[in-house]
Amino acid sequence: MCETLLDVRGLCHSFPLGAGRYLRAVDGVSFRIRKGEIFGLVGESGSGKSTVARCVMNILRPQAGSILYRGVDVCDPAQFRANRRMLQTERQIIFQDSSSSLDQRMKVADIIAEPLAVNHIVPPRGSLRAEAAFQLRYVGMDPAYLDRYPPELSGGQRQRVAIARALTMEPSLLVADEPIAALDVSIQAQIINLFRHLQAEHGFTFLFIAHDLAVVRYLCDRVGVLYRGKLVEMAPTKELFDRPLHPYTKALLSAIPIPDPRRERARTRFHFDEAAFDRTGGFVQVSPEHFVLGGKEAEP
Amino acid sequence: MDERFALVGLCPAAEQAAPKGRRPGKRPALAAAFLALMVLGCLLFPLLLTKDPASMDLSNYAREPDGTFWFGTDTMGRDIFAMIWSGGRVSLSIGFLATALSTVIAVAVGAVSGLAPRWLDALIMRLTDILLSIPSLLVIILLQAALGRANIASLSLVIGATGWMSVARVVRTEVRQLRTSEYVAAARCMGGGTFHILRRHLAPNFLASIMFMVVMNVRGAIVAESTLSFMGAGLPLDTVSWGSMLSLAENALTAGAWWIVLIPGLFLVATLLAVTELGEWLRRSANRGQSNL
Amino acid sequence: MKLARRLCSLLLSLLVLSAAVFWIARLAPGDPLVSYYGQRAERMTPEQRAREEARLGLDAPIHVQYVRWLRNALHGDLGVSFKYKRDVVDVIRGRVSNTLLLGGVGFALIFSMALGLGLLCARFEGRPLDKILCKLGTLSSCIPEFWLSLLLILIFSVYLRVLPSSGAWSVDGGGAADRLRHLILPMTVVVTGHLWYYAYMIRNRLLEEVRADYVLLARSTGLGRRRVLLRHCLRNALPSYLSIMAISVPHIMGGTYVVETVFSYPGIGTLCYESARYQDYDLLMVLCLLSGAVVIVCNMLAQAINEHIDPRVRAAAAERAEADGHG
Repeated sequence: MCETLLDVRGLCHSFPLGAGRYLRAVDGVSFRIRKGEIFGLVGESGSGKSTVARCVMNILRPQAGSILYRGVDVCDPAQFRANRRMLQTERQIIFQDSSSSLDQRMKVADIIAEPLAVNHIVPPRGSLRAEAAFQLRYVGMDPAYLDRYPPELSGGQRQRVAIARALTMEPSLLVADEPIAALDVSIQAQIINLFRHLQAEHGFTFLFIAHDLAVVRYLCDRVGVLYRGKLVEMAPTKELFDRPLHPYTKALLSAIPIPDPRRERARTRFHFDEAAFDRTGGFVQVSPEHFVLGGKEAEP
Repeated sequence: MDERFALVGLCPAAEQAAPKGRRPGKRPALAAAFLALMVLGCLLFPLLLTKDPASMDLSNYAREPDGTFWFGTDTMGRDIFAMIWSGGRVSLSIGFLATALSTVIAVAVGAVSGLAPRWLDALIMRLTDILLSIPSLLVIILLQAALGRANIASLSLVIGATGWMSVARVVRTEVRQLRTSEYVAAARCMGGGTFHILRRHLAPNFLASIMFMVVMNVRGAIVAESTLSFMGAGLPLDTVSWGSMLSLAENALTAGAWWIVLIPGLFLVATLLAVTELGEWLRRSANRGQSNL
Repeated sequence: MKLARRLCSLLLSLLVLSAAVFWIARLAPGDPLVSYYGQRAERMTPEQRAREEARLGLDAPIHVQYVRWLRNALHGDLGVSFKYKRDVVDVIRGRVSNTLLLGGVGFALIFSMALGLGLLCARFEGRPLDKILCKLGTLSSCIPEFWLSLLLILIFSVYLRVLPSSGAWSVDGGGAADRLRHLILPMTVVVTGHLWYYAYMIRNRLLEEVRADYVLLARSTGLGRRRVLLRHCLRNALPSYLSIMAISVPHIMGGTYVVETVFSYPGIGTLCYESARYQDYDLLMVLCLLSGAVVIVCNMLAQAINEHIDPRVRAAAAERAEADGHG
């Protein structure tokens, strides 16, 4: 059916802890993202979500596995160099903490126009400043902010600036690494709506990383669940939320509070036993779109 | 277009309070004016004055300040007023030259150490620590002795070469912290090379934090020069500087000639004070929170 | 285990330091024979010179000289001072107590006064007292030590004639009171020269602490300002202050040499200066190694203080030790 844009195969990455020990942050993760879809990656903190995002963006170098973007292996230095410009202009990332992902000593206008300046792209709307003003308006901010510095903005405004910076390049793939985790709930809703709106307008492909299941359910087309560096389950959003198979997914979903006191009290919570987690099993396809780790638990 | 944003909420700029600019801290106008005056005086006076600061005239030995010799003469009969300006030229230029050198070394070492792999970074920092903990005046004397007879260039070289360590440490810490920061990662993702990142992101950020130290290094270099010259390990007597003028002070003390000690010293202290004020003003932008006490 | 490793690194550092000083000192263009024979060296015939150089072991290549020095040093023979024509250790022994007196008492005074001043300034931040102290401190930090010495001599020795201008004791000797009188001026200079740097440091450190939320909490429970400052803020500021003071020992002790020179005070500082200026090789080597050892030991001390007092560092160290044990 749809063309695959990003193909992650057997991705492994570990961090040295010193004294010869390593932390396996990502352990054999594979998934595909089709053109134009919103793929959500959820998991608790420390499950390796951000590491996957950083590998996809070439910020980290994975120890094993490959990441194919439009068929180009971005982990291979030779292929990366040959396609550098395409890769750097088409993929953009939005970080979690906008206070550290924006240079505090640059004006908003310069921040938004930085990708254009770096890549020596002639701004389509005349000047870099006009381009920055357009993008700022596009993410719902008044162009009067152009001459402000990031510390003078609120968290939500900063995140909008970060989004605007990513959008200036008209990316095909947008990676958002917990873009709303550091924001107030009311601002979160605004930003999520902004994402939906922008995705509808632009049609970019979106790798959305979050730990908030409600947000993922609202925004994403397909979801992958990450646990301790392993992808334990992957399915279309509706399927996953209706028919979770892996015990970890069940536990995770059962932890979502229900905004109705009576039903909330009646909610049964699954407990997931960490010791029982079996990381050796293979990824099993239970239905055309639904994959689960291990397979034993796949029995309904 | 605005309706489309009803959903996502357009933030009008007017809601926002006016940007919190830097609190208009007292600018060191006096210090800046004094420094400008000193620099100008040191540049111009030696050209205008008819008296040669180096000419010795033993008939005017240790004269008190009067109409002809505004600041008196020293124990070799030289006019102190003329010496102040030409000596200031030497002292100030050593201050600036030495600082320029130490800053260049510091930024280079700090940036290399900050960008280097862990083991190299540890090695460089260990060496820096050792150098930092040795009293620098002793090293300066030793190096100057090794270089031979001192002149402005060699003294600046020696003082600069021993004054970079603390700045290098700050640069290194800043670079190390900054290079893992997300905006550097973001800049890399959008295709910015190392040079772009260094120029646009790292340099503006660490320059702000070393400005104060650099200004203080100017002060340190001027003090080092005057101390060395005073002790006889720096500039020789015939190269007039504020320090070498004071190296005659011991004769002056026995002669009771206060002006030989007092006048060059006052100029020296006033200049150092002005430099310090300037440095403090640069630093004051940080540490602005409200006291909880 | 840990101690042994530190001792090894100390010895290694000293070895490197000795080699560096040896080379630098011998590159200097001066004539060591002048410091041995004084004016007589200039009147020597070339043959005499060669004979004397051979006698003092100055004719061999530098690395041979170094190895010979090292071998002798390991046997406990640290050489002879060219200038004093006595065993180096003897020369230093005669001086070291003077410097310890000046530097040690000065250090104690600086340490305690800086703490007091810092607390005072932090308590009254922004008030007139703090402002006046800060201004005075800035002024004092801008006065070069040697000029302050000159000024004090001018005032107290030349005009008022109440205090001696040089030396550590009078020629006829006058007991403790006489020594004290000789110490007053140099001590004043040593203390003023360093005091503000440390006082300002502790003031700023305390001001950082004062802005932390736990102070707000402590204040809201009804604790008085004084108590919060002394019990809470000071406790947090002290480890870094102590470790900085430990690092600063060589600076204060070694930094006395300007003062010693101006006041002709017979201490190590004057000796250092003379030996560096006049190519008194063996003396210079021992003095450099001595100060190097002090520097390194003080740095280790600072680290130990940090680890001992600060629970965060202690926890990190324990974790490391555990990791070492397991790994």
